[in-house]
Amino acid sequence: MRTYLGIDVGSVTTKLALLDESDELISYVYLLTQGRPIDAVQQGLREIKEQLPPDVDISGVATTGSARYLAGVIVGADLVKNEITTHAVAALHYYPDVQTIIEIGGQDSKLTVVRDGIAIDFAMNTVCAAGTGSFLDHQALRLDMSIQELSQQALTSQAPVRIAGRCTVFAESDMVHKQQMGYRVEDILYGLCQALVRNYLGNVGLGKELESPIIFQGGVAFNEAIVRAFREELDTDVIVPIHHEVMGAIGAALMVHEETATSDIISQFKGFEQSEVKYRASSFECKACPNRCEVAEISHDGQTLARWGGRCDMWERVPGTQLHPSEESK
Amino acid sequence: MTTVGIPRALLYYQYYPMWKTFFEYLGAEVVVSPPTTRKTLAEGAARVVADTCLPVKVFVGHTVSLVEKCDRIFIPVVRSLKSKTYNCSKFLGLPDMTRAVVPEAPLILEIEININLGKRRLYQDIYRLGRQFTWNPLKVREAATAAWQAFLDYRELMYHRELTPPQAMEEITGKLPAGPEITPESPRVPRTTIGLIGHAYLLYDEHINYQIINRLHQYNAMVVTPEMLAGDTIEASVNKLAGQAYWTYEEEVVGAGGHFLENNTDGIIGIMAFGCGPDSLMMDMIHRQATRQKTTPFMCLTLEEHTSETGVITRLEAFMDMIHRRKQRGKAICV
Repeated sequence: MRTYLGIDVGSVTTKLALLDESDELISYVYLLTQGRPIDAVQQGLREIKEQLPPDVDISGVATTGSARYLAGVIVGADLVKNEITTHAVAALHYYPDVQTIIEIGGQDSKLTVVRDGIAIDFAMNTVCAAGTGSFLDHQALRLDMSIQELSQQALTSQAPVRIAGRCTVFAESDMVHKQQMGYRVEDILYGLCQALVRNYLGNVGLGKELESPIIFQGGVAFNEAIVRAFREELDTDVIVPIHHEVMGAIGAALMVHEETATSDIISQFKGFEQSEVKYRASSFECKACPNRCEVAEISHDGQTLARWGGRCDMWERVPGTQLHPSEESK
Repeated sequence: MTTVGIPRALLYYQYYPMWKTFFEYLGAEVVVSPPTTRKTLAEGAARVVADTCLPVKVFVGHTVSLVEKCDRIFIPVVRSLKSKTYNCSKFLGLPDMTRAVVPEAPLILEIEININLGKRRLYQDIYRLGRQFTWNPLKVREAATAAWQAFLDYRELMYHRELTPPQAMEEITGKLPAGPEITPESPRVPRTTIGLIGHAYLLYDEHINYQIINRLHQYNAMVVTPEMLAGDTIEASVNKLAGQAYWTYEEEVVGAGGHFLENNTDGIIGIMAFGCGPDSLMMDMIHRQATRQKTTPFMCLTLEEHTSETGVITRLEAFMDMIHRRKQRGKAICV
């Protein structure tokens, strides 16, 4: 059976999705990156292998997410795609008539505007991470509750409290203040969810026309309170796809399928054995010019597989490799 | 012989051939600071208050790097190039600010260009600048005429040959390397035309814009920039979109943006510096127009010292993917 593997290595979680020839999702894995993307990818490969029916042949692998280049080198990706495109492709696959895609992940949030089945505009949060999963995570941690508890408690709110959501730091002091004033925890929590939604719409959604149908995906879509806050604020239905948390990986798999279908490319996939190989990631400061670039490299058995992070291609040409950020697009 | 230093920043990209001709005609030697590096930016940023914009920090860094290399530093003040247009206050105070933050700098040669005060005043100011080198007014006049001609030639070169300012300068000195490799159109990466709008000091400083033009070439995109357009075309676009221009360099954003929106570009990318007042108004005008028109995708990249390269690359990749998929889809419908 021909299958296509999509790997989405994000800042907080790593997702793998396997599709069959007719683009049906056969299996998927969702695990925490925990700051160790290489381990997460290897763990993901092990888990997906356990779920596999026999006679499966991986005909294409694509990586996406913020660690897409790193993951691409480890698995031998046929395609390395940015997460904005893969999310849009996946949403369009399941909902061909979608007009707006909201995607909130661990450290970034995106908005894609779609008209007539094609993305026409997008936005991504800038340096600020207020209004992303990390913001909620941080608040849940501070209140000593899991993110699930936060969501469930927030849903019971009757009279939400207004929280300043512009900045994580200010939101926190505002929450502390409201707690000291004696407001109920669930009302503060739902107020926080509303603040996140307002922040998202005022920042990423600024100047964009958000028309229905609206799809909401990414890890934060697990949070039912946020979904409710979006519905209330936009005054329309917001659809959360069943596999909303692995949409990036699904999109990557769809794209590599699309790409290999039109050509006879043989997959570069290095096989599931890669999950047992020891990779070493390191970095150094290049001193060749005053730019002092921080060059990252990944090696295996003392042999360098790839390097990136330099402003020129001095370090990036490693013999025997085919994949690096600036060549991928050619 | 006097050596005049010119910082490779801000107005350098528009006027360098003109300035160089003027000073060399008067017998001076001209040195330009080397291209921006991380060190240039760090040295500039260390001297000014934190909320100064990125291009000015870069400018100060270049000035610092020139200190030991010249006897004079040329910092013109361009106040107004057309009736009732104004420039950002950071341009107006540039010589004074430089004196304050780079006290070790050699003598700063200034000239204020303000067309509102009349031509007579402009000539007097040019003479005053030239007097630093010669007492002969005729010689200054000849130098100014030659400089103006050099500027016109430079503009013509960019317009006729579709060259960027750095390319045109290399062409003038005879060092223009071969253009980007043109790869044949493939179904995967179609050939596109991307309009780039913004001020020259952002579009052509490869360090601060993360080599955006090179990256676009790698996506098989042909890049058109404001300097490649005829002056009157751009002016017409400004008048159409904004009525009377208000800002001195409004053409580079509103004029070029308006023109690209109507002339078959596949997408427009605006580049602005974080905290830039005039640009926040002008880019928004193009953004709104693009949203209304719905024909040409527009994306604005905001640059500051803390802009991460990854963020710029991810957005650029997504923008080009969006355009490629649109093109492929358009073709599929035609077939």
